[in-house]
Amino acid sequence: MTARRIGVYVCHCGGNISDYVDVDRVIDAVKGEEGVTVARTAMFTCSDATQQEIYDDIQSLGLDGLVVASCSPKLHTLTFRGVAKRAGLNPYRYTQVNVREQCSWAHTDDREGATEKAIRLVRAGIARTALLAPLDPTVVETVPKTLVIGAGIAGLRAAIGLADIGLSVVVVEREAELGGRVQAFGPMYPNDKEGSELIGQLVEQVRRRESIAVFTQAEVVKKAGSFGNYVVDIRTHSSSSMTMQLSVGSIIVATGFADYQPAEGEYGYGIDGVVTLPEYKAMLDAAKGPLVRDGRPVRDVAYVYCVGSRQGDQGPNQYCSRFCCSAAVHASLQLHEKDPAARQYHLYRDMRTYGKYELMYQESREQGSLYLKFPEGEPPAVAKGADGRLLVTVRDQLTGQKEVGIAVDLVVLVTGMVPRENRELVKALKLPIGRDGFFNEIHPKLRPVETVVDGVAICGACQAPKSSSESVMSALAAVTQSAAILRQGRAELDPQVATVDADLCTDCGDCYDVCPYDAIAPQEMAAGRKVAMINPATCKGCGGCAPLCPAGAIDLQGYTGAQVVAMIDGLAREVV
Amino acid sequence: MTVLQPHLAAEVGVDESFNAEACMNCGICSAICPMDIPHLPRELFRYVELGMRDEVLAHQETVFSCLLCKLCDVNCPAGVHIADNVRSLRHYFNRSVFRI
Repeated sequence: MTARRIGVYVCHCGGNISDYVDVDRVIDAVKGEEGVTVARTAMFTCSDATQQEIYDDIQSLGLDGLVVASCSPKLHTLTFRGVAKRAGLNPYRYTQVNVREQCSWAHTDDREGATEKAIRLVRAGIARTALLAPLDPTVVETVPKTLVIGAGIAGLRAAIGLADIGLSVVVVEREAELGGRVQAFGPMYPNDKEGSELIGQLVEQVRRRESIAVFTQAEVVKKAGSFGNYVVDIRTHSSSSMTMQLSVGSIIVATGFADYQPAEGEYGYGIDGVVTLPEYKAMLDAAKGPLVRDGRPVRDVAYVYCVGSRQGDQGPNQYCSRFCCSAAVHASLQLHEKDPAARQYHLYRDMRTYGKYELMYQESREQGSLYLKFPEGEPPAVAKGADGRLLVTVRDQLTGQKEVGIAVDLVVLVTGMVPRENRELVKALKLPIGRDGFFNEIHPKLRPVETVVDGVAICGACQAPKSSSESVMSALAAVTQSAAILRQGRAELDPQVATVDADLCTDCGDCYDVCPYDAIAPQEMAAGRKVAMINPATCKGCGGCAPLCPAGAIDLQGYTGAQVVAMIDGLAREVV
Repeated sequence: MTVLQPHLAAEVGVDESFNAEACMNCGICSAICPMDIPHLPRELFRYVELGMRDEVLAHQETVFSCLLCKLCDVNCPAGVHIADNVRSLRHYFNRSVFRI
């Protein structure tokens, strides 16, 4: 091994670390490690002052490796890579050692043990750093075109946004008509604009933009290539089935939701006069005046909230569908307008007409709608009543949970949203699915529309239950993400990916199947020999392939076999 | 189980003088009542609002025990005219029970 010049910095983190780890002893124990040029402690390593100190050390001592033992790598890896880069040291020659979350905080009852563990962890970090080679980000050129899947309110709005930023757009819609679910709605909350009118406006805007191409009755069946330059297969099945291939830089998924479908007998579903919210909405939208059903006037309506949402141990859906309280209250306002004499009973667990929609709730109560809160464990029961009416029984919290019966003509089950079945698309795009069945973002707050598949964003109700305005907001967020990547024309990717030693590879094919990102494929070498080739733009550096390779030909940059062995040696050596 | 009588609120006169819609069930009225009337007024008003006629009729004594002192009235944070509502209820009893 050539002599390395490594700087090691152990952080007090105020006292978060040094209260339980003797940081000075850690420095004493590691300053003699091979390759260590300088070892210091710092009160707060991430402070500007200490960053400057590290910067100065790198420059004046000519450091070629950096180890900071502080908090979780999730917090400050990028901070110290930045310090290294600014000081002229390759940022991938930096190792962050976690001696807070995984050491001091975990062993507050054992100072001696925590200190020994910290010494081992830092030694491992030094051992890895000694073997780190400089890496450069993979640069890919991007295609200035985005594929939008789904032409509902979110997909259409996204397409317009992308076109206006100067990107080409391809919209793929499975149905024959554009507009998705919103297209079919009459007046929608909060401003009573008709769904068909909103969609009409969007479709008109889409038509006016030459850079948007729309394919209806079409589906995405395959995705190949890599981030910034995906090749997708689109199958159309209008008159005759045909498949075409397109190059796109990014993909926005806006495939929407499905309605929760109550089971037979769930809250009386199946009994004549028990309908779901979408069924009720269609009745309301079609009615010119008071509601009439099978020739009988509808004078009393009961709404049962949270059907298919917040199911607890009664079903798989643990989430709140969020739009339905407001949608049901809006529907009750709509009924009141058509028939002021109609009596309306809202049986709820919690009313969640959040934000401005609270005003609709207020208005509905002022109009005489009665709201009865029922206990979570005892939901209302719906049964056939006298004279062809329905009898709803419910416990009212405000009367000390007295059981009351309400005779009504119509029961509306306020059903929520469920994830839509999209097996083929999920397979083609390798979309991440959350525990709730909706597509998953990387971070709910900070990266709310990006997925773990680079360049593939999600928006609208395919991600989680959303109102149409929230769907449009997320669509525009997805536009920003796509444009941010594609407008630059190039993107830098993490170089800590797997690589193949072509001399060792035997083209056995084991790694092709195990790669979850389809990043490995055989490539023809000279003399007809084939070896595995890893696309650095598609590889996520998960390392799944490396231990599988029988020839030991695959190494993960930044975590090579040799580096990991050196780390284990560092961890295992006696502390003395 | 009480089956709701949707017309009760109108019979008692909810639309005109009887209004307990703003009640948020805080309980100040019950706490402050010099007669220590347990059921007045929140539960009783809720019975009227929902149309639980039997429950209302079962509380004749409570309705007539009220002093109409208006302590609850002036202390109600939601501005419900509690004493007026009790008057409406007495009026309802007079009409429908005592036929006077």
